[in-house]
Amino acid sequence: MDRPYAVYESPDIPSKKFTVVPGNPRYETTDGVTTRPSDHVLNAGQIDRDKPSEPKREADGSEQFTKLSQLRMNLTGLQDDINEFLTEQMDVAKAKKAKLDSLEQDARIEEEINGLLDGKDDD
Amino acid sequence: MVDLNTVSPKDPAKRYYLALGLEGSANKLGVGIIKHPFLPETGAAAKDNSHDCHVEILANIRDTYVTPPGEGFLPRDTARHHRNWCVRLIKRALLEAGVRDACAELDVICFTRGPGMGAPLHSVALVARTCSLMWQVPLVGVNHCVGHIEMGREITKAKNPVVLYVSGGNTQVIAYSDHRYRIFGETLDVAVGNCLDRFARTLKIPNAPSPGYNIEQLASQCKNKETLVELPYTVKGMDLSMSGILAYIDSLAKDLFRGNKANKVLFDKKTGNTKVTVEDLCYSLQENLFAMLVEITERAMAHVNADQVLIVGGVGSNARLQEMMALMCHDRARGRVHATDERFCIDNGVMIAQAGLLQYRMGNYVKDLSETVVTQKFRTDEVYVSWRN
Repeated sequence: MDRPYAVYESPDIPSKKFTVVPGNPRYETTDGVTTRPSDHVLNAGQIDRDKPSEPKREADGSEQFTKLSQLRMNLTGLQDDINEFLTEQMDVAKAKKAKLDSLEQDARIEEEINGLLDGKDDD
Repeated sequence: MVDLNTVSPKDPAKRYYLALGLEGSANKLGVGIIKHPFLPETGAAAKDNSHDCHVEILANIRDTYVTPPGEGFLPRDTARHHRNWCVRLIKRALLEAGVRDACAELDVICFTRGPGMGAPLHSVALVARTCSLMWQVPLVGVNHCVGHIEMGREITKAKNPVVLYVSGGNTQVIAYSDHRYRIFGETLDVAVGNCLDRFARTLKIPNAPSPGYNIEQLASQCKNKETLVELPYTVKGMDLSMSGILAYIDSLAKDLFRGNKANKVLFDKKTGNTKVTVEDLCYSLQENLFAMLVEITERAMAHVNADQVLIVGGVGSNARLQEMMALMCHDRARGRVHATDERFCIDNGVMIAQAGLLQYRMGNYVKDLSETVVTQKFRTDEVYVSWRN
């Protein structure tokens, strides 16, 4: 069976491919790390009725998961990979913005000081 | 003149259109299936009858993401709820509507493109795209607010009313003019439903079936209706503001629960006895907010010389709001109020199907999947209403 994959493209990142790693438990569960309910609602007493069902095994009694369950498990792992990657990207973007804001602020303060030294006084 | 038959039914022999509507902009996930008969009289020479399509509702299923008392719904968890239930609800709706072969029978799939919460909108749009590709059925992205208006017009047959759209995310007074639903007045901060919901959280009353409904029930039990608790009244021209009212009544409720006897609004100065109950607060809040809504609606009616009001949105199912609006309409122009019950007031899939099918019948549907990107900000007056004169 072909395994699913995902490709992310953006102006900063030409192409990033997400693939399933066979044998890694991350891709052998339907209970993803990033797709669980948030701790906030669980702490408030929420009963999780949206929990994904467990993967099903073949009816012939073998240990093999059904093809659909395999796909669901693979997608759960890929979804975790993508969510973690996008969260990292958000952090990178936030850090960039903070740095830019700080540089802008430094430039503004320097301009004000220079202005004052030159005898400029708006008030 | 409007020709609602610009696009023929998928199978011309069947003489009707079938639309699937998917709604998930907030905590309600709705799936609806409707049927419009093909009416030859709606040809080029026909009058505007977009409010009278002879709609037949074949399925209207809803599942609500309910949080514990005192909690609102977060985008991530709401989206998770929608992802979990969407396919099941579609299957149930198709079964209920007797649609055996969606590919052959459905004319169009309509989904909410905005406004709303990003993550839940995205989850439902993803399902709409998948179904469209799988069944080879065209897609229509619908403005949620226009969905409410079109459903209200079709159910009540109101011809050209002033629309009061009141829900958890929106508060707008709207009137139609020149192919747009024009916003005459709106909230400057929180929506009326959000104000009620957040007060319900402060009171820690259940969120099922809805916080606003539970406030309405408490308000109806008020035994002191003659003496309103004085609250700020913040109508600003045609707009209104509710965040200050909420902050004030929240502080009153907290003082009441804490037993803060220094608060003279709540406790008798001499005896220290409670003067105000939770029911009184709910009643006063409703009266105050609804009076503000009635005032701006009346002003809009005067502006466009209308004698009818259509109330849509979740808060529109509040019986007291309908009653107050009816009094104003009757006093003003012997006019009337049109409103619907909770099946159509509260977010549902049928309303998205109704507005989407009107759009589709005018030939306006998605030509490329890039047009299906959802948007959290999508104002009512951005939509070109091609299906009305």
